[in-house]
This record gives sequence, C-alpha cells and structure tokens, in this order.
Amino acid sequence: MKNMIELKNINKTFTSGKNNVVNALKDINLNIKEGSVVVLKGASGSGKSSILSLVSAISKPTSGEVIVDNKRISKLSDKFASEYRLENIGIVFQKYNLIEDISVEQNVILPLIPKNTDTNVVEKKVEQVLDIFEIKHYKDTDVKNLSGGEQQRVAIARAYINDPKIIIADEPTANLDEKLSLDFIRIVKDLKSKNKTIIIATHDPLFFKLDFVDSYIELKDGRII
Amino acid sequence: MILSPEILTIYILDVLFLVFGSIAFYLSVKIYFKYDKYSSSKLQYTLEKQSYLASTIIKYILALKVALFLFFIFTLDKLSNVLSGAMCGAGVLDAMEYGNFLIVLKVLNIYLFAYWLLLNKDDTNQEQQPYMRLKFGLFTGLFFLLLVEILLEFYTFYNFETDKLVSCCGTLYSSSSTSMVSTLFAIDNAVLVSVFYINFALLVLFYFLKSKYLYALSNLTFIIVSIISLIMFFGTYIYQLPSHHCPFCYLQSDYYYVGYLIYTLLFLGTFFGLVVVFKDKFFKLSFVSNILFVLLVSGYVLVYYFVNGVFL
Repeated sequence: MKNMIELKNINKTFTSGKNNVVNALKDINLNIKEGSVVVLKGASGSGKSSILSLVSAISKPTSGEVIVDNKRISKLSDKFASEYRLENIGIVFQKYNLIEDISVEQNVILPLIPKNTDTNVVEKKVEQVLDIFEIKHYKDTDVKNLSGGEQQRVAIARAYINDPKIIIADEPTANLDEKLSLDFIRIVKDLKSKNKTIIIATHDPLFFKLDFVDSYIELKDGRII
Repeated sequence: MILSPEILTIYILDVLFLVFGSIAFYLSVKIYFKYDKYSSSKLQYTLEKQSYLASTIIKYILALKVALFLFFIFTLDKLSNVLSGAMCGAGVLDAMEYGNFLIVLKVLNIYLFAYWLLLNKDDTNQEQQPYMRLKFGLFTGLFFLLLVEILLEFYTFYNFETDKLVSCCGTLYSSSSTSMVSTLFAIDNAVLVSVFYINFALLVLFYFLKSKYLYALSNLTFIIVSIISLIMFFGTYIYQLPSHHCPFCYLQSDYYYVGYLIYTLLFLGTFFGLVVVFKDKFFKLSFVSNILFVLLVSGYVLVYYFVNGVFL
C-alpha cells in the first residue's frame, strides 16, 4: 500500500507575545498508509490535535513538510488548502460543529454546496449517506432535537458525503456513553472496509485494543514516544 | 498652499500609502531575496505568511491609486474655481511647478500598477504561485515610482499658489502656446484623423488575426494617437467649438462628465491591449473597450455633422 500521509521533520510552535512560546510538535516524522486506521493517543496538550490540523491543512507547520497523496499540502495557499480539504478530508469534530437550527439533511449536504453539485445528484447522495449511517428517519428533523449519539452520526455523514480519502476524528467519543462509543467504533470499522484512511485522536481507552487499528501513536509533550 | 477637502483627502491617503507601502516594500525586499518555494524551513513559512500580508497591502494601495487617478483629475478641475484665469484642470496644472510631469507620471503609474494587480491575481490563482518573486521584485521598483508620485504630489499641492494668475485652457491649448502643445498644431487634421482610424483598423485586424504582439504594439501607438486626436480633433466636436482643444473641460458637468468615460474606455482598452502579450483572454475586453471608445468619440463628430450639415 502506498503512503497516504507523510509528516517530515515537523515542528509547530504557537507564539503569544515574546515570552509565551509553546512548542506543540517537535521533530515529528510519520507515515500513514492508504486505507489504514491510526489512533493518536496522549494527554491533553500532547500535540494530537495539532497533527490533525496539519493533515487537514487547517494550519501550517513552523517548519517541515506535510505530504498527502504525494502533494505538499503544507505549501498550499489558503484558497488551495480549502479546495484540498473539500476534496480529500472529512472531519468529525469533538463537539460535532453542526448547525443546530437546520435539519439533518441540510447539515449533511453542506460540503456539497461549494461544488455546485447538481440537485438530483445531491438528493441521491444524501439518501445513500443517511441510509449508511442509519439516520434516514431524522432527515427533516432539526439537529437541536437529536441526542448526542445521533448528532455524531450526522457529523460523520457530513464528513463522508464528499467521499473523502481521509477521515479525521478529534476526540469523537468524548461526549458519548460507552454504548454510543462502541457504535462509533463499528462505523470506523465499516469506513476502513471502504478503504478510507482514518486518523483518530483520542484518550478513550475503548480504542486502545481494537484489532482493526493499524497503528497506535503515542504523543507526549509534542514528541512521538 | 491650499487645504481643500479634496487635497486633505489626497494628503491623508498619501500618508497611509507611504506608511503601509514602506512596510510592504520592506517585506517585498525580504521575500525577493530569501523566498525559496522548495524549502520547508521556518524562514520560508514565515515568508509565505508575510507574502499574504505584503500582497494584500500592495493590492489595496495600487487598486486605490488606479481609482484615485480620476479623483486627482476631479480635484484639479475643482481647484480651477479658486485660481484666477483657470477655467479647468489645465489651468491648475499650469500653475503647478511640476504639474505636467506629475500627470505624466500618474498615467505611467496607473498602467504599471494595473499590470501588477493583474500579475498578482494570476499568481494567487495558481497553486504553485509561479510569480511570487517576480511580483515582489517588481513592486520594489514600483515603490520608488509610488514614492516619487507621492512626494511630488505633496510638493505640488504644498507650493500651490492660489493668487497666481494663470492662462486658461483656450490659451494653453492653442498654436500660440509656449509649450510643446503648439507643435501639435502643425499636424494637419486630415492626416491626424487618418492616422487615428488607420491605427484603429490595424488594431481590429490584429484582433481578428489574434496576433498578440502586433495587437499590443497597435495599442501602444493608439494611446498616443488617441490623446493627440482628442486634443486636436475630437475635443472640438465635444465642445462644438473649432478653437477649443482642452483635454480637461469635457470632464466637467457642462459636458456630462463624458471625459471620465472617454479616458476610462481608453485606459481599459489600451491596458488590456498591452497585457494580451501575457494573457490571451484579455483580447475581447480590450477590443470591446477600444471599439466603445472609438464609437463614442466618432459619435460626437457624426452627430455634429447630421445636426449642422458641416464638419468643423
């Protein structure tokens, strides 16, 4: 299998004023194969989310290179980084980042809007995706009326609708009970079978002994240990 | 010295352009010498971030400067009300020590600034940003032109004497003028008009042949030929006076500000006509602007002929 994601000599520093410098990532080198599931673990502030934001081109490294599918995404301007994200990345946020006052369907189709996708194609895609994640019956329900687990399924459906190569989840089970967390794990396994490359940043012990996870990467103080 | 609201506006904007332009100049020099798109060093990422800042500053300065050219002309025109003898911007320019030099520099700058804006747009629309060093290198040169323009503008308005007696445009644009304008009167109108329409016909021909270098060349000559033709021939039909040759008076309300439209069309047509050398897609925009310009100025001649039955 080819390398899907490569991080080379990555350093990431956050500066707030002259004396407040945080080295979030230090000399990170990492290869992630296509179609694999990688779990990033570590305490809060260890650098997990920084890696996710670099891979999704939300932020840039202070030095080093991020290469995704043979493209140096760390060198892209904001405009092209947005295009890259739209085409290649699906993100499931810790707090889902859904728009609560609109329906499930309207939330799920959001990534298709910038692409000016044909209405018939949108309708067909949304039906398929809602079916996969078993939320078809909530299609016209406002997101604010759903439970945490249901909202997470909507977030996953939204991340999936563009058929991205990479799916990123940042602390996806932080707000879920054990049963719903296990549901999420089952969905991840299904996504892996669809050859998606998946990176999950978590410190939930439920993820630490899964047979379908290809590698566990532990971070401490911005370094891989 | 005079501080009208228009001059104060120009002063304030010039100070802002100077401050922000200096920051952009400093960053441009740094980017020009140290930018290496293949590097992943800390310096390179810093330069990439700074390039967004610098290009945003430059983009707004230059875009405003291009638009402010019309405001500058408007200001000259308005100042003619306080100057004895002046009837329009031509008299005001005459009262200024470096007025004519300033306006020529401004015209040159708007072509160069507009080119930079186009280059920047082209650069940011490409993933590899191939013109990064070129555009910042170019700006370091343009900054000096901007600086000269701003300093000259300050000097000109600061030393502007309202009690100076100046000639009106009727005298300045006549065969008795002491400036080089008088030499234009040696050109026969029939020859001039023929040259104008031959130049335009060549421009049309090269457009249909899609010969970009010849089209650009015909646009370059068209700028000069058009300005001379406006002064010597077409202007007299706008004024309906055979002896009035001023290139400023038709910017006034008496002539429905048609001068702004004439100069804007001429600028758009010739500017995009020059940049077709780099970008074929501007052929049409240039061609349409040039056609509208020719139709507009020719229309005045034809309307005069149909109404009066004679040419001037």
